[in-house]
Amino acid sequence: MNQPALRISKLTVKSTLEPGAPAIVSEIGFDLRKGEILALVGESGCGKTKTAEAIMGLLPASHWQVTAGAIELNGTDCSDLPPASLRKLRGNEISMIFQEPLTALDPVFSCGHQVSSVLRRHLGSARNEARDRTIKMLQQVGFADPERIFRSYPHQLSGGMRQRVMIAMAMSCRPAVLIADEPTTALDVTTQAQVLDQLTKLGREYGTAILLITHDLGVVAQYADRVMVMLDGVIVETAEVENLFKQPQHPCTRQLLSYTTGAVA
Amino acid sequence: MATEILARRKMRISRSGLTGLVIVIFFFLLAVAVWAGWAGQNWSAADGERWASPGSTWWFGTNQLGQDIFERAVYSVRTAFEIGIVVSLLSTALGAALGAVAGWRSNTLADGTVLWLAGVLDSIPFYLFVAAVAFALQGLPWAMHVAMIATFWTATARLARAEVMKIKSREFVLSARAIGLPSWLILMRHVLPNTLHILLIQASISFVAAIKTEVILSFLGLGVQDGVSWGLMLAESTQEVLAGHFNNFLAASIMLFLLLLGFNLLSDALQDSFDPKQAAL
Amino acid sequence: MPWFLRKLSHGGLLILGVTFISFSLMVWFGPDQTYTLIGKNATTEQIAEVREQLGYNQSFVVRYGHYLADLFTFNLGASNSSGESVNRILQKTIPVTLALMLPGFILGNLLGIALALLATGKKDQWTDRLITGFSVTGMSISFLVVIIFLQVLLCTPYGLNLFPVRGWQVSGLASYLYYVTVPTLSLIFITVGYNTRFFRAVFVEEAGKDHIRTARAYGASTMTILWRHVLKNSLVPIITRFMYTIPLVVISGSLLIESYFGIPGIGKATFDAVTSGDQPVLKAVVGLTAVAFIVIQLFTDFIYKLVDPRIA
Ligand SMILES: Nc1ncnc2c1ncn2[C@@H]1O[C@H](COP(=O)(O)OP(=O)(O)OP(=O)(O)O)[C@@H](O)[C@H]1O
Ligand SMILES: [Mg+2]
Repeated sequence: MNQPALRISKLTVKSTLEPGAPAIVSEIGFDLRKGEILALVGESGCGKTKTAEAIMGLLPASHWQVTAGAIELNGTDCSDLPPASLRKLRGNEISMIFQEPLTALDPVFSCGHQVSSVLRRHLGSARNEARDRTIKMLQQVGFADPERIFRSYPHQLSGGMRQRVMIAMAMSCRPAVLIADEPTTALDVTTQAQVLDQLTKLGREYGTAILLITHDLGVVAQYADRVMVMLDGVIVETAEVENLFKQPQHPCTRQLLSYTTGAVA
Repeated sequence: MATEILARRKMRISRSGLTGLVIVIFFFLLAVAVWAGWAGQNWSAADGERWASPGSTWWFGTNQLGQDIFERAVYSVRTAFEIGIVVSLLSTALGAALGAVAGWRSNTLADGTVLWLAGVLDSIPFYLFVAAVAFALQGLPWAMHVAMIATFWTATARLARAEVMKIKSREFVLSARAIGLPSWLILMRHVLPNTLHILLIQASISFVAAIKTEVILSFLGLGVQDGVSWGLMLAESTQEVLAGHFNNFLAASIMLFLLLLGFNLLSDALQDSFDPKQAAL
Repeated sequence: MPWFLRKLSHGGLLILGVTFISFSLMVWFGPDQTYTLIGKNATTEQIAEVREQLGYNQSFVVRYGHYLADLFTFNLGASNSSGESVNRILQKTIPVTLALMLPGFILGNLLGIALALLATGKKDQWTDRLITGFSVTGMSISFLVVIIFLQVLLCTPYGLNLFPVRGWQVSGLASYLYYVTVPTLSLIFITVGYNTRFFRAVFVEEAGKDHIRTARAYGASTMTILWRHVLKNSLVPIITRFMYTIPLVVISGSLLIESYFGIPGIGKATFDAVTSGDQPVLKAVVGLTAVAFIVIQLFTDFIYKLVDPRIA
């Protein structure tokens, strides 16, 4: 019963296009406990997104070589599952929110269509049922006029609104795990807080464990339970949030901390 | 400058690109041999029997008039290169020049005029245009070339224009303008060399288009006037094949295919090496 | 300026350019019809009379003005060679050409799209390489070679001898299929390489977009991604190519196919008109193609709005 929602061990990502180059993610491992919010922080380009994409199985084998000791979702290892079974998990048991809200949604389908097709795909819902549920989800992520949002196309919405549609889509099947890749980096400060509040609130409600990728230690302090620090594709430090702020172990962590406090001061 | 830019982009030529290059070089050497008078000189003499089979005297057999098909096919390599080189160089140069001016002065009258002219030429059915030019310049052996150059430049101009507009706003151009270098110098020194990869690809595409067009035009009687070409050989063969004589057709079409394939492989490889698309599902 | 006015003025300028160039080339510098009409040993007066009839004695500007005026009033006149009214010629030949070219044109595009989707789904795998290799091969074969080859293969005793070598005597579905098959196969063969390659480039570009990654992260299968997301997002370039090549394939393509197979369509009529200097026919064909282009452009912009919600 105490197994983690997500267990990663020895995950390595290499580019097959540059065979000699060092691994972009090398031999990282961690446990994401049920219902917790685990932050992954690190400088731009350190490999956070690639880690997330590798866990989701989004890196095409023709360009990326992904090896893992294990990728366990609720105790079952997914690293050897056939593609069809993997697809059943994606968006259902494990979902992801992307860094770029402006381009993450398909421009030629309405937002409602995109959310409800995930529901229909995974839960086998009928069209009307999926529609009702989508509208409820849109309401849950804070839209006052979910009907209108349902009909809107992505380009008619602001970045923050699109990211909330994305959250609705990610949480619609009540996944066990959500990977949120810098969900608010592209948004302005007030929107950031709103989006993160909504996200964490829904996470608590559904018991979803969240891997929150960010480079903002302020966000970490406010929302996360634990935090991992990544440097050049390696996790250099894992700690409870309070401990990290009190006694950072790794020089890189101290540097990250100094940026944040510097920005605040 | 040019080589420097080519080297800066990572050139990785694929195996098929290399095959293409080898084929093109082989044909080019053949063309040189014809120019130098070492091969294909006996293309017009009708000194064999009609429709002789391939053998040691007539490697590829003879045609309706008893002419040596091998000699004709080889001499046609020269014709193909002459047409290809003239048309691809001039149409690419014209397209580059007009495209550069349009891009540099984008949204001005000059730009509008170039775009308008390109639009007009693209809206006239191609073979109709060529036929009309061939007629207007009757007697001139260059009519076909002129027609092709006059229409092939539009694609290059559009691409060059878009690229120049992109480059125009880059720092090195902005700083060159800031220190007061004249426009033409900036264009020649900084902008055009950076469009070289596009021009190279376009030139090789136009080369293929020119050779293919020559075939059709020669069949329609608007192409090569004196001399011999694969197009003329194919035109002759349209009658012969119905009588069951395929040597002329096979010789011309296979050589034509090989040369076109070589160029297509080469230009594909060039495109890939300049613009590698990473996506995969 | 409102959208349609801008389009219209753009179209007007285009028509002016097209007619000007074709007038200069085909009429002003085109073949002189005097002697074809009255024979070699005519008197000076006869010659002068015919030249006046044909308008040869007037200035460039006047003749171009007449040319435009005739075009806009659809006063197309009669063919100089056959005396038949141009309207009648168009009515007779255009349906033949459409019946001849459209099946091959549509199938060539559909086949290209299907192969390109397949290649995109299997990008960098052997299926993709095979399809890419196939399309480069197709692009390297001359139209004329394809026609001759298929003719020998399908229409002569040296091959299967199933179809007619040339001609067009269509009176029903069976005879239509009998005459249209070989030209259609030629057209598919010749266009599918270029189409596949073009569509593959479009699809591969679309498949690299962020929202495709999203679809995959939410469990969409490769099929769903290709058929829904990639295809629907590519509709604008697909429609553009489709619409803009219609006039070119129908006129330029038919010119060769019809001359080769002896089919009495608009392409053959046009080519005959060019070589004999039959101005009324040329006038009509060029004017109509230009107008067709502009109508198609307006129409295409309209379709864009239907398929892409971002285009307002
Ligand atoms: N398509 C690619 N081909 C080769 N290398 C890549 C590619 N995409 C990313 N990389 C490399 O992988 C490394 C990790 O990239 P990643 O996107 O995971 O960084 P990140 O930590 O998410 O950064 P950011 O905070 O800016 O989003 C980067 O150094 C980058 O250079
Ligand atoms: Mg990232």
